[in-house]
Amino acid sequence: MNKEYSVVGKNIVKLDSIEKATGAATFTCDFKLPNMLYGKVLRSPHPHARIVSIDTSKAEALPGVKAVATYKNTSRVLFNTSATATFTIPPLVPVVDQYIFDSVVRYVGDEVAAVAAVSKRIAEEALKLIEVEYEVLEPVYDPLEAMKEGAPILHSHTESKNVPGEKIHIEMGDLDRGFAEADRVYEHTFKLPVQKQAQLETQGAVAKIGVDGSITVWSTTQTPHPTKRIIGSIFNVPYSKVRVLNPPYIGGGFGVRIGLSAKAEPIAVALALLSKQPVKVVYDRKEDFIASDTRHGGYVTVKTGVKNDGTFTARKLEGILNGGAYCSWSTEAPGVLGAMGLSLYYCPNQMYDGHSVYTNTTPAGAMRGFGNPQAMFAIDSQMDIIAEDLNIDPLEIRRKNIMRVGQPWVLPYPCLSSGLEECMDKGAATIGWDRRGKLNAGNSKKRRGIGMGIGTHVSNAWPFCGDYSNAYVTIQQDGSVHLASGIPDMGTGNTTALKQMVAETLGVEFDNVRITYGDTESTPFEIGSHASRTCYASGTAVVAAANDARDKVLAFAAKTLGTAKEDLDILDAAICSSSNPEMKMALSDAALKAHEQGQQFIGVGSIIPQNAPPYLAQFAEVEVDLETGKVKVVKLVGANDVGKAINPLVVEGQLEGGLAMGIGYTLTEEIKYDSKGRQLNTSFEKYVLPTAMDITELQTIIVEANDPTGPFGAKGVGETGLVATAPAIANAVYDAIGIRFFEIPLTEERVYRAIKKEGIE
Amino acid sequence: MILEFRLNGEEVEILVSPDEILLDVLRDRFNFTGTKKGCGKGECGACTVIINGNAVNSCMLPAMKAMGKDVQTIEGIGTPENLHPLQQTFIEEGAIQCGFCTPGMIMSSKALLDNNQSPTREEIKEAISGNICRCTGYVKIEQAVLSAANRMKAQKSVGEGE
Amino acid sequence: MDDVLKCFKEYPGEARIIAGGTDLVLDMESGKVQCSCLVDITGIDELQKIEMTDQNVIIGAAVTHSEVNRSELIKATAAVLSQACGTVGSLQIRNIATVVGNVVNGQPAADAAVALMALGAEAEIACLSGTRNVPLEEFYAGLGKTNVDCSNEIVTSVKFPALKENQGSSFVRFAQREALALPMLNVAVSLSLNGDKTIEWVRIAMAPVGPKPMRARSAEQMLTGSEISGELFEKAAEEALKEACPRDSALRGTAEYRKDVLPVLVRRALEAAVASIKCF
Repeated sequence: MNKEYSVVGKNIVKLDSIEKATGAATFTCDFKLPNMLYGKVLRSPHPHARIVSIDTSKAEALPGVKAVATYKNTSRVLFNTSATATFTIPPLVPVVDQYIFDSVVRYVGDEVAAVAAVSKRIAEEALKLIEVEYEVLEPVYDPLEAMKEGAPILHSHTESKNVPGEKIHIEMGDLDRGFAEADRVYEHTFKLPVQKQAQLETQGAVAKIGVDGSITVWSTTQTPHPTKRIIGSIFNVPYSKVRVLNPPYIGGGFGVRIGLSAKAEPIAVALALLSKQPVKVVYDRKEDFIASDTRHGGYVTVKTGVKNDGTFTARKLEGILNGGAYCSWSTEAPGVLGAMGLSLYYCPNQMYDGHSVYTNTTPAGAMRGFGNPQAMFAIDSQMDIIAEDLNIDPLEIRRKNIMRVGQPWVLPYPCLSSGLEECMDKGAATIGWDRRGKLNAGNSKKRRGIGMGIGTHVSNAWPFCGDYSNAYVTIQQDGSVHLASGIPDMGTGNTTALKQMVAETLGVEFDNVRITYGDTESTPFEIGSHASRTCYASGTAVVAAANDARDKVLAFAAKTLGTAKEDLDILDAAICSSSNPEMKMALSDAALKAHEQGQQFIGVGSIIPQNAPPYLAQFAEVEVDLETGKVKVVKLVGANDVGKAINPLVVEGQLEGGLAMGIGYTLTEEIKYDSKGRQLNTSFEKYVLPTAMDITELQTIIVEANDPTGPFGAKGVGETGLVATAPAIANAVYDAIGIRFFEIPLTEERVYRAIKKEGIE
Repeated sequence: MILEFRLNGEEVEILVSPDEILLDVLRDRFNFTGTKKGCGKGECGACTVIINGNAVNSCMLPAMKAMGKDVQTIEGIGTPENLHPLQQTFIEEGAIQCGFCTPGMIMSSKALLDNNQSPTREEIKEAISGNICRCTGYVKIEQAVLSAANRMKAQKSVGEGE
Repeated sequence: MDDVLKCFKEYPGEARIIAGGTDLVLDMESGKVQCSCLVDITGIDELQKIEMTDQNVIIGAAVTHSEVNRSELIKATAAVLSQACGTVGSLQIRNIATVVGNVVNGQPAADAAVALMALGAEAEIACLSGTRNVPLEEFYAGLGKTNVDCSNEIVTSVKFPALKENQGSSFVRFAQREALALPMLNVAVSLSLNGDKTIEWVRIAMAPVGPKPMRARSAEQMLTGSEISGELFEKAAEEALKEACPRDSALRGTAEYRKDVLPVLVRRALEAAVASIKCF
């Protein structure tokens, strides 16, 4: 079942690691150009206000200031900072609700103006000289409040009050009949917090305008090509004259920059156009917290009908998400929430309704998991409630209902592979599942528990939005191989994985493949990195390109060697014949010969991916301090069906990072606001994400169910690490202290209150 | 004011204003951009350098505090041709993802190993607890530090055996 | 030292002492503090000392948290301070930030300050007209403020009686994570046991439960002369709570929660302080 490859599946060292380990890696914040100015942004102190007047004359007069930009002198083209608007599939219409600067501000931190000056210090001084008069408008912070009669309206042209775009509706079967058939029905609502990516490199961009009006932007974006399109549209410059590139490294993403969230790119371009010099805009950490997209918080309601033996008969899922002040990904996230929530388990009668709501808070956009972690906290917490009520082991009730290959579901693509059961069994064995419920003897003030959660995800964004990839593979005249793919490198190892795929397909050594990436000028259109897609979708394109090149090589070799193409293969960089072992031609010879005859082997891969479900099961062992409410994760095990691990070391790293982020999501991380709409957690000290001393033991298990639609069987990985962590930990806490939580994070205070209320000693 | 110190083993001299911050001097004046600014407030460790053997946050230090001292940055501990054992193990064991925390993380680890040749896992966690990583969950980083410690001990005993 | 004091004269109102600078540099960047002259004291030999004279431990103003945390002398004579100096911020910060600076900064929950108060420490303050010694309880002037005139005075050292064989101490820190976190609550205890296991004296310092680190005097009274027992410690912990007034923190716990947890921490600190006494 599991094929052995020579390059794929091996722990090839990532080449970017060497530059990163020696301090030679260039990130946007390191990037410099001659004559470059520094840009700083003036931000709204109000959650909702109209700009009555704005006077920049004093700022402009400050020596060293070369440009000041406001809504009065910048583009009035509406856009959406997320890449989604560039690949929304008709008849859906993208929601475009942002300008670079507007005359209305809609959250504390919203961009009001920007200054470009010869030094950061002068730019900061100039900001203080900009005089703005605001007419304060009424704000609203909670999505449920924002839908009510009388709530302030953030954007005109919404069909329902404060709801960006369309509401998502998914259904299958006959819900009413399904509930009628149930022996028992359960309904619970769960509340999810706002989480922040908190990637180590803040948003930033450097923009330069060419003498021909062309625009070049060095950027932290995860999606150079879609971002290029957004910029071309904003500034009305032909896309062929816009170049977006990473310099080449990005200090983490986790979804914060699928597009140009926080607008460093267009602000830098606007300032560059005004000042006629290159401009660098790099946000400080506080700005990154305040102005770049967060995860959606909100409410998820799940209603499930079951038979007494635990079989699902009906499920209704609802999601109301806090979209923040601008749409960004707020039309897609509720869709993924519902689709992933409903497709994990098999249930013949299902329905989902969900949408986001505008509020005067930092825009919510894409963050690792994208609605799925929110769905799973609700769904898999309720699963344990049902299990206990029916007196069925939580592992077994899940086994009974999980989606199996070939069964019908709400998604428009089939389920062709699943390693979920293997993940569940291996994870259960590793944590010692049968210790559950038996961990506490006597009256210790520290109680232990074990819990589990499972999940699925996607391997790219189709059909939630457009998704396709292109790649070129060219064989150089000495037989070395060049790969061009528009993916970014934000540390996920995808540039290495894609090279492995090309090397494997062409039968050449890994070190003989070089990749050009992250630059729209030298690569064909590629969506970029999001939706856990680069191995699966971008990989499919590079494999197609490699196969196309391989095909041309073999056709040429067949002609030259005088045999049929089907007789030939490429192994160890040599074309060889299966019928005649003496017949051989080095790839380098073929390439040089072809060159002498006026040909280069160029392979093009243009693909629209299908989609495939990765699966995961997580098991947590926790310890709860009854006297303080503090929850400690003693051990967290994550078993993942990744289809095929192209580079197992890289896959483990991605999963481990996801588990740690999941621990933060469940126990400590939350962006809170004060009564004036200001974020409270605007620094690494205030935003409680885990340090090394907060993570005890993480263990990952890789399962390979080999999907037939994925390159070498691969499926998505990147986002899966934290899809099921919240229910796993919350269910473990229940095992420890018998208290069910319907809201995370499980801070010490939240847990303590509950312990006190239940009177547990 | 004239600032004189030893930077990556080399005596240097530079004119700085008293409120100039060491991180900015390293990045902008010496062009050693390996050391990163993740927060500017000593809360993430991305700016960690080693001064007189101690790991410190360069984003909070006035540059003048380096006067007469020995400052080491990531650029000074090894080259691609001659990697420090920590650089080797970080690369080999998958401890580097986006790479932004890596220079600071390696410097904190080096400060540990220069003083403690056989650190426990707990001691490693403590040494890097001031360095935030959002990508790795710290697992492979701690593994890499342990491996580097073993490698450095082995190298040392080879050296001593000669 | 004379040079330092001269700077105050040469730059009236404009000179500030910088030791580690971990608070000062950020305050200057945010505009909270403005001055035109920084007087770096970390090179002054006499301020770099940790030493014991006449049964008293003296820590100079240039001594860092790391140096205190690693010091064998401090481990032996003031375990509570060694522990407190091992939990502040991160290793990078502890390598630069000074213990005296932690106290002078005036934040009520400052770990070193809380530990020093439990050790009965006093600060030596020098200015052009001489020096004075101020017990830590009298050091604070209000939330975040001390009785030190920072443009004319310098705290040169802190001093406290070394703990003896029959005396123990402990530091309990309660925070949202294990590093890079301000504390939700800090409790420091030092105590002395008589041969019959009654308490000769005890100091309990807790923070932030008021504008400055507070001694739980009523609880201390209850404990003095009594024989140690779990029940006694629980009662004392509840007594300590009565004197505490934590505020609601938007980030680090409501007042109510901190009141609920404080007795638990006080009790744990008392137990640990007793357990640290080796000769029993």
